[in-house]
Amino acid sequence: MAASAGKFARPGREAGPALSQLLYAFHFDAGLYARFLRRFSESGGVKRIEGKVTDVELRSEDGFVGAVSLADGQRIAGDLFIDCSGFRGLLIEEALHTGYDDWSKWLPCDRALAMPCSLAGPPDPFTRSTAHSAGWQWRIPLQHRMGNGHVYSSGFTNDDDAERTLRANLDGAPLADARPLRFTTGMRRQAWNRNVVALGLSAGFVEPLESTSIHLIQSGISRLLALFPDKRFLAVERDEYNRQMEELSARVRDFVILHYKATKRDDSEFWNYCRTMTIPDSLAQKIELFRSKGRVFAEALELFSRPSWVAVMLGQGIIPQEYDPIADSLDEDKVAGALEQIRQAIAGTVEQLPTQADFIARTCAAGGAVTAPPTLPEFVF
Amino acid sequence: MIRDPIRKLIIVGGGTAGWMAAAACARVLGALPDLEIILIESDAIGTVGVGEATIPQITLFNALLGIEEAEFVRATNATYKLGIEFVDWTRLGHRYVHPFGFYGIDMGGIEFHHHWLKSQTLGDDHGLGDYSLGVAAGLTGRFTHPRPEQPNSPLSRISYAFQFDAGLYAGYLRGLAEANGVRRVEGRIIDVAQDGESGFVDAIVLESGERIDGDLFLDCSGFRGLLIEGAMQAGFEDWTHWLPCDRAIAVPCESNGDQRPLTRSTARTAGWQWRIPLQHRTGNGYVYSSAHISDDEAAATLMANLDGAPLADPRPLRFTAGHRRKAWVKNVIALGLAGGFLEPLESTSIHLVQTGIARLMTWFPSRSFAQAEIDAYNRLSEQEYIDIRDFLVLHYKATERNDSPFWDYCRTLDPPEGLVRKLDLFRSSGRILREHNELFTETSWLSVMVGQGIEPTAFHPLANVYPDDETLKRLAHIREVITTTTSLMPSQAEFLQSSGGASGQQLRHAS
Repeated sequence: MAASAGKFARPGREAGPALSQLLYAFHFDAGLYARFLRRFSESGGVKRIEGKVTDVELRSEDGFVGAVSLADGQRIAGDLFIDCSGFRGLLIEEALHTGYDDWSKWLPCDRALAMPCSLAGPPDPFTRSTAHSAGWQWRIPLQHRMGNGHVYSSGFTNDDDAERTLRANLDGAPLADARPLRFTTGMRRQAWNRNVVALGLSAGFVEPLESTSIHLIQSGISRLLALFPDKRFLAVERDEYNRQMEELSARVRDFVILHYKATKRDDSEFWNYCRTMTIPDSLAQKIELFRSKGRVFAEALELFSRPSWVAVMLGQGIIPQEYDPIADSLDEDKVAGALEQIRQAIAGTVEQLPTQADFIARTCAAGGAVTAPPTLPEFVF
Repeated sequence: MIRDPIRKLIIVGGGTAGWMAAAACARVLGALPDLEIILIESDAIGTVGVGEATIPQITLFNALLGIEEAEFVRATNATYKLGIEFVDWTRLGHRYVHPFGFYGIDMGGIEFHHHWLKSQTLGDDHGLGDYSLGVAAGLTGRFTHPRPEQPNSPLSRISYAFQFDAGLYAGYLRGLAEANGVRRVEGRIIDVAQDGESGFVDAIVLESGERIDGDLFLDCSGFRGLLIEGAMQAGFEDWTHWLPCDRAIAVPCESNGDQRPLTRSTARTAGWQWRIPLQHRTGNGYVYSSAHISDDEAAATLMANLDGAPLADPRPLRFTAGHRRKAWVKNVIALGLAGGFLEPLESTSIHLVQTGIARLMTWFPSRSFAQAEIDAYNRLSEQEYIDIRDFLVLHYKATERNDSPFWDYCRTLDPPEGLVRKLDLFRSSGRILREHNELFTETSWLSVMVGQGIEPTAFHPLANVYPDDETLKRLAHIREVITTTTSLMPSQAEFLQSSGGASGQQLRHAS
């Protein structure tokens, strides 16, 4: 309700019960975020070295990464390496040949075109994803511009058509040329291999349909801290890390697949493929349980909560055949009254919220100095 | 939408499981229009009812039923329980306590025990138990309720369960269930009528000729599994090779006045002996492996190790460790011993009934009996048995005892894969892995792994964020707070008196 009305405020302890349940996240400029974290890290003692990695040295005795060399001849040795080099996986793949599980039979989109444009109005407090004939387009309102991108399958459309579709669906004037990206959905067979831990795109890629990329980085970091190794690099810790990350990624994968599978669209080859494809058993079970009595069972390492599954399953038209029989133990009039009360409490709360634009202007507007210079647009996951 | 609700729920068997199910169903489902709940039991068939000790989750079940604690404690002659004391398990003469609740306090973003492991390498030899309020209070016989209003006190999160007379508990729940509309039918079951085509159970036929039909049947008939096995042939997954104990002999005795809020488990030559102090008596039993000791010898061992005069003849029990391959088949769901058996080493029997009931509520069917839901129920149920099994096997596997063929067998057995992973992780770096919300927490695994002598070769590198003297200073402070808090707690006897839980019966047998 708040999203539709363009409103936002932070839930606080003093806020009413409806607002206290409001959960929120951010849309931000990922380039600026990385810079923000860079300042934070450097002031916490992280030493930054500028340079292009030209060589990765493996130790002869065990094949562990011993050092990386830079173009200027500098050699940087280490005990533990975190590979944040993006899709190519400089250490995890190019040096260690870890291998990659390809999920593109379930998630056939393999390219994206990103293009920022000017804002046509005050920013909405929600991301919009619009399905197109061979993929979907994101629309991410920031304070100073709108991020847009078309994620598509090269098996079902070509780059020129994809760009035309993107340009035809912008709210405002383009602020840069379209920036192409290529990817293969899936995950590295072991995100932690020997003394290298891959984080971010080097560990795997799931399209940004549910904005999970940064979250998976965050989970990887917290698990790495929980299982932080010593120089023995015990297999048992590495295996546990990989097992948990694999489970987490697979559940994210299932949730994203759900959006494609549960559709009635039959207006393109792409949608015909998605609608009729075979899906992982784990997802099929979830759908079947929901279809039966509207029940959602959350697995242990599951990022998405019950409301998320319910929102997407109902939103995509999966209607349960029955409701939970125990619901009948409540008096129908009382239930109707309670639902009405909830609706009113929410509507009343939303009524009193400021618009997102007001809220930002009052509390956290970007200062002139911080406003992004015309850098290249970022792929905001 | 389709509506085809269950209108008749039949509970077969009136032991602990049957009455727990009846009371909970009456409470949660009682308001469903047109739902009738019937419990069938025979006065001629005894109940097992040895699950006298519980774990803290029982307080949630009681809260669900709206049970007032002092009244329940009084009615079932209950005592409080802060943990289990294990004697002679690691080696003869050794003892440790597996407490409920927590050790110390997490610091620097990592669990407390890494700081404790570090302190051991610095020459500080205080045991893990010195950092647990449950251990300190348990060993000194003290108890009081948690004080959540003081979040920085260890007492804010003290965790407890009960030891009670399971027969009285079933009777107490029967009162609640009947008051909430459950109809009790007395009679011996002579036949289970099934639909010729679907195989679903249609009705239960009693010796009197009465025929009780139903939509959903809860099999609480005990080990035999009258419906789940007798009619549905669900099959049984036998875990004897991991948990070789297959018999028990139980006897109550007079209380010797030691009513510390702990269950005690003492390892014996071919199994172990429980000691459960209630208000009016002490429950005892020897759980043993018939392959390693005779019934007579087991009975003699038990009777020689009572701390008061026996109050009844010893009662033998036979069982097989394991679980029904499918807890739910068609319109039959097995609860309690009908669903499986794991020895009461960690007091999980009543808990398994409770979670079975909770799962039933979560997946409560309609007459369509959707297979996807039944599969989900069975998957979760099996996982729960596996999780508990692994924790039990740990107690047998991690031992130095080599004084009998039984212990030689246990010490050298091949543990299940999940346990191997947990042992490896802990041994190599002190990490404890708790999976899929399994029942036993990090505290439990830590307690038993350390208690049974498994020594990690390293602790979490982040424990070194504190300089050595800072670590030692913090640990000394935690010990001091625990000791002081314990000294301010009343004894269990004082607490029972002041809270209104004393049944007045403890004087009867006190020496």
